[in-house]
Amino acid sequence: MSSTKLTKFISPKISQCTLGRSATQLSSLPPIGYIYLGNVSYAKALDMQKQLCRRRIDEIYAGPHHSRIPRETRILADSLILLEHSPVYTNGRRNHGVLSVDEIARLRKLGCDYVETNRGGEITFHGPGQLVAYPNLYLKDHHLGTKCYVKGLEHTIVEACARLGIDADVVDGFPGVWVSHTQKVAALGTHVQKYVTSHGFALNCTTDMKWFNEIVPCGLEGRSATSLANVLAKQVRADVDASVGAVLPTVIDSFKAVFGCDVLPLEEVSPETYATIKQLLE
Amino acid sequence: MALRILSKSFLSQRLATPIRHYATKKYTSSHEWIEINKDVATIGITDYAQNALGDVVYVEVPEVGARVEFDETVGVVESVKSTSDIYSPLTGEITAANSDVVKNTKLINRSPEKDGWLFKVKFEDQEEVNALLDEADYKKLTESDH
Repeated sequence: MSSTKLTKFISPKISQCTLGRSATQLSSLPPIGYIYLGNVSYAKALDMQKQLCRRRIDEIYAGPHHSRIPRETRILADSLILLEHSPVYTNGRRNHGVLSVDEIARLRKLGCDYVETNRGGEITFHGPGQLVAYPNLYLKDHHLGTKCYVKGLEHTIVEACARLGIDADVVDGFPGVWVSHTQKVAALGTHVQKYVTSHGFALNCTTDMKWFNEIVPCGLEGRSATSLANVLAKQVRADVDASVGAVLPTVIDSFKAVFGCDVLPLEEVSPETYATIKQLLE
Repeated sequence: MALRILSKSFLSQRLATPIRHYATKKYTSSHEWIEINKDVATIGITDYAQNALGDVVYVEVPEVGARVEFDETVGVVESVKSTSDIYSPLTGEITAANSDVVKNTKLINRSPEKDGWLFKVKFEDQEEVNALLDEADYKKLTESDH
């Protein structure tokens, strides 16, 4: 990595970012419904996603031999779930059982939880001041494979940063979004089951960086996390509001620009999906 | 005389062309390949799938001896910080799992349809095999799909 230059990402003109889809495919994408839930406990959000994915998979693959049924016959829609968590460290599938009991106890003593998940990626932190996004998409409706989907998530964050006057980049081989060779402003980790996505990305808006000092974020030695607020302060633009609430509309607009489909309030796109998510969080 | 010539050529034809057993290759719409040899199927992900995934960094394969149902999750492949579940296209017993691919995950990208095989199933239901896609149908799928 030290010998690799940051791949300079040129923020795409909206019309040029296709994520590998043809014009015909782009013209018939389903809308995504966004929903901002405020603070939700990690455990509750994880359980909600598991159940939502289960319901979506059962609905989509209800044809003979578990084949998929056409979009028009389905009720549940794609959603972009946005929220914040109370302090929690989470780890990915490949690190199940890797952290010692002592290490887990040490992290818990800091005043937050530790949860192992089925997502990709390694250890990271979620907490106040960090915008967490869980897109629940059926990738086949968007004509996306995993690689292009992840690229889409990264480009969304890069685009959002650009709109805030922050120069961020993607780096080949190191998923996430970087503001320098060593500083990551957003972490990423997803789980795909039968082309239905869960988990997503976490963008540090005004997160307290002290939590990241206790771990090796994403397993990358020599690298650290930073926040939009920190970057803006360095630019002598600390007057710019980088709070989660302020950044939210920019992230939604960027998602729409990059994924090429409508991103509208979930209650409008699918009242049933909205009600399902609310009910699963009770 | 003609009869003797006929029967001789028939006999030599039969000796010259012994009956061979060919493995059949089938596919799923989720980009797995299945190579059938008698009642054992070897399964992996296709070249199309590995290209859509990116560089594989972590693999989980099922346990040998485990019984699996059609469409049950049997493994995981991770790339670009995304874990993708692998599903069994057939019901039966896992007779082998590729430990090489767990240690050397790049085998899936380099040789997805040969050295990067994931697991073998001794299957029970020929109907499940018949429901799988043949090569022509799979090619059509990859040309129109992403």
